[in-house]
Amino acid sequence: MTARTLKTVLLLAPLLALTAPGSNAFAEPETLGFVVTKWNTAMHETRFMDECPAGPTPGNWEIWESMITPEERRSYPEALITQVRHVNYRGPNGEDVCAEPTSIKDPPLKTVEGKYSYGIDLDANEDGRATPKTCKHKNFTGLNGQTGIDNQMYRLMGCVEAWRSYGHIENNANSHRLSSGLGMILMEITDVDDLTNDDSVKVSFYRGIGSFTLDSKGEALPFASYEIDHENGTPRYGDTVSGRIVNGVLKTEAADVNIPHFGNYQYIRQLIQDMQVEMELPSESGGTSGMVYGYYGVEQFYSYVRGLLTSFPNRHKYACPPIYVAAHELADGHPDPDSGECTTLSSAFKFDAVRAFINHPESEKLASLSE
Amino acid sequence: MNVSTFSPPKLSLLTIIGVSAICLSACGPSEPITEGPPPDVRRLTEDQYKNIISDVFGASIIVGGRFDTPVRTEGLQAVGARNATVTAAALSQYDEMARSISEQVMSEPSRQFLVPCAMPGQVAFDESCTTQFISKTGRLLFRRPLTDDETSARTDVVRETTQRLGSFKEGLSSGLASLLVSPQFLFIADVVEDDPDNPGTSRLNAFSKATRLSFFLWNRSPDNTLLQAAETGDLHSEDGLEGQVERMMASPLLKAGVRSFFSDLLEFSEFDFLEKDSLIYPAFGAGAVRDAQEQTLRTITDHVVTKDKDYRDLFTTRDTFMTSTLGMVYRVQVKARPGTWEPYQFAPDDPRIGIQGHLSFLALNSHPGRSSPTLRGKAIRNMLLCQQVPDPPPDVDFSGFNDPNSPSKTAKERLTAHSTSPACAGCHRITDPIGLALEKFDGAGQFRQTENGAPIDTSGDLDGIDYADSKGLGLALRDNPATTKCLINRLYAYGSGNSMSSRSEWMTYLEDRFTADGYRITSLMKRISTSNTFYAVSAPDMSGETIETAANNAAID
Repeated sequence: MTARTLKTVLLLAPLLALTAPGSNAFAEPETLGFVVTKWNTAMHETRFMDECPAGPTPGNWEIWESMITPEERRSYPEALITQVRHVNYRGPNGEDVCAEPTSIKDPPLKTVEGKYSYGIDLDANEDGRATPKTCKHKNFTGLNGQTGIDNQMYRLMGCVEAWRSYGHIENNANSHRLSSGLGMILMEITDVDDLTNDDSVKVSFYRGIGSFTLDSKGEALPFASYEIDHENGTPRYGDTVSGRIVNGVLKTEAADVNIPHFGNYQYIRQLIQDMQVEMELPSESGGTSGMVYGYYGVEQFYSYVRGLLTSFPNRHKYACPPIYVAAHELADGHPDPDSGECTTLSSAFKFDAVRAFINHPESEKLASLSE
Repeated sequence: MNVSTFSPPKLSLLTIIGVSAICLSACGPSEPITEGPPPDVRRLTEDQYKNIISDVFGASIIVGGRFDTPVRTEGLQAVGARNATVTAAALSQYDEMARSISEQVMSEPSRQFLVPCAMPGQVAFDESCTTQFISKTGRLLFRRPLTDDETSARTDVVRETTQRLGSFKEGLSSGLASLLVSPQFLFIADVVEDDPDNPGTSRLNAFSKATRLSFFLWNRSPDNTLLQAAETGDLHSEDGLEGQVERMMASPLLKAGVRSFFSDLLEFSEFDFLEKDSLIYPAFGAGAVRDAQEQTLRTITDHVVTKDKDYRDLFTTRDTFMTSTLGMVYRVQVKARPGTWEPYQFAPDDPRIGIQGHLSFLALNSHPGRSSPTLRGKAIRNMLLCQQVPDPPPDVDFSGFNDPNSPSKTAKERLTAHSTSPACAGCHRITDPIGLALEKFDGAGQFRQTENGAPIDTSGDLDGIDYADSKGLGLALRDNPATTKCLINRLYAYGSGNSMSSRSEWMTYLEDRFTADGYRITSLMKRISTSNTFYAVSAPDMSGETIETAANNAAID
């Protein structure tokens, strides 16, 4: 063998290794699929709820009781008391105060006063002053010490026990999603050349149809195949963003992305503006977790709150009007060009995911081939 | 026609030339004359019992109850059935099953189709209906027409029960139950008769011949057409037998027969006892256990029946079938909806080839929480090469092998240390190099690159053929002469219930023909089922006991 031939062989060796018989199918994938198994609003919760010095928010019933005198209460017919105890019809004319949150003026929502939060500096503005793209707001410090963290969603809902990690709202949504498969979030990373460092990958988000494949403990198994929800071959979701892999962590560039969601008997098409994803790529076991950062529409969020069962505010201790008012007050992103009021809340979400195979609709594949 | 009395008819020269030309490619050497074994009795296997009930009474009839543990002899339960008896507990189970089946048959809507002459609420005994039902059903269950005495005895049971319970339906139900617990149903008895073509010798009677043929090709009782061929004596003629074999091999039921053979050969009955640690292998649940067996059987029948391909390629094929449940264990994309199957081909660079790379083989021949090169190697030797590897001695010391603090990270390192013991080395030397080639598949058959962080060395050798990995093992297995010999051996034993030993001439003949036929199992099955040797039987030495009384005795043993 000549020196030149030897050099050629050595140069080609890594390439040959990729195609060598017996090479691991997982070592050099071009496409990585994931199914999200858990999705939560990222809440920094301390043991003694220090972040909420005024305590947790009161529920619908407590607010109603606090706003009337004992005499007034005695004067009310029992039927009305029962109605208020079980549902939200406590507006001045018997309105559902979740459906019409401005029909009554409740005490202000107790919000997060703590220093730390999950999140990132979405607006590249450490002091929280108003800019053409943001409204004035308080910033947090990240758990890693980073300053300028934007997370007004946490400030808004962090003291509402129903939304915290032990609360009913998100746990119920996760549990129902897992058991039903409704609102299944599929994520597909394509153009992956290197699992550790890759300057350019694409990440697409879809809604899956079908059920999760669960193990005997009720947890989603990795490496199951899922179908994309589509209409006549066109995926109902499918926003694609650019990203990169840095030291085994996927990071996407900020972009507006629609993410499917189902929880508490409601479908939501979540538009997360300027959304960024950070996710560690999993080992062979197939399980991982990640974060989603971005701006979440106030109306979109309140629409979900409004659609919750009318019994929830009393059963799970929250009230709609204070949330509605505070959500508008705390909104820090995307000012309305006319009013100047901000329309979105900076947010952070945690998610768990497992590796999955994503089956595209046949017609979508045919279309991509013809392009 | 008996081969010993065969003499060719006088033919014209042209005919001889023409036939010779055809025979060059198809006929080959003639079958050697082989003496048959004495007639025997075999207990119906669980699958055979269920197949018969389904065929005779419909697939909706549920067969509940437990069957006696099958006996495996020479690698097959079908052969072990010769030695199987019926314990008192099993007899009780047969009785329970017979009553349950009879009740279902007599309940609506089954009764309308199966016993149309019995009217709902009928109190009076109907002799004509009874005789008709007992004769027709008994013929299918006993695999021959009932004798007058047998029909009469069952008719009496029906009459007496009808009178006592005041219900004709109950009477018929008792009559049917008595057929189902009869040894003539539960045992396959070889019934012999004098061979009119060869005075002084014996042959299987036509019904026993039909039964042997039917269980071999379909793993179920002879159907009406085959029984008619037996009744007319057509089955004793060469053309008649060939015609039936052709018909049966063209039937979709051939796949059921092939599935049954391979299920027995690969010891799939052991899946009933398979346990996997769900914490270690969460994806390998009950669905995977079920689908893994089906995957291998589908692959086999598709390869050897539908595509009629070379048997040896089963050990190198990448073609298989997949479900979404299996896809999770194999970690491959599956488009088929849950519960449905799709054809699948493993990629050329995938280390998984052949049925020995299927989950069914890998998981079955492993421990609950880890793989086992020794069990896998032993299984390949025993099942696929017909080489008996003895069980380990009772006093073997596994402490070093199982030591969690052992510096040896891979099974190969641990086994190397373990096999230094002279008592262990003999067997491990012939099992481990085979099993270690499959070490990149864990105890559930899932692919892995490393074990405890250490790279896995899959190199080894099979009978002098070196290989680097599981693909090399597949090729070595494919080309090993023992692989095809073993199949012939097992297939003949499966169908006849007899061992191939002491039939070396017959074995050589089949080997040659199998090779000439391109190692196609369908050709081998046809050759066996149209041969004289397959049905050959020597005169019984029953010392006054008939073969059917032997069956009766076995039933109460």
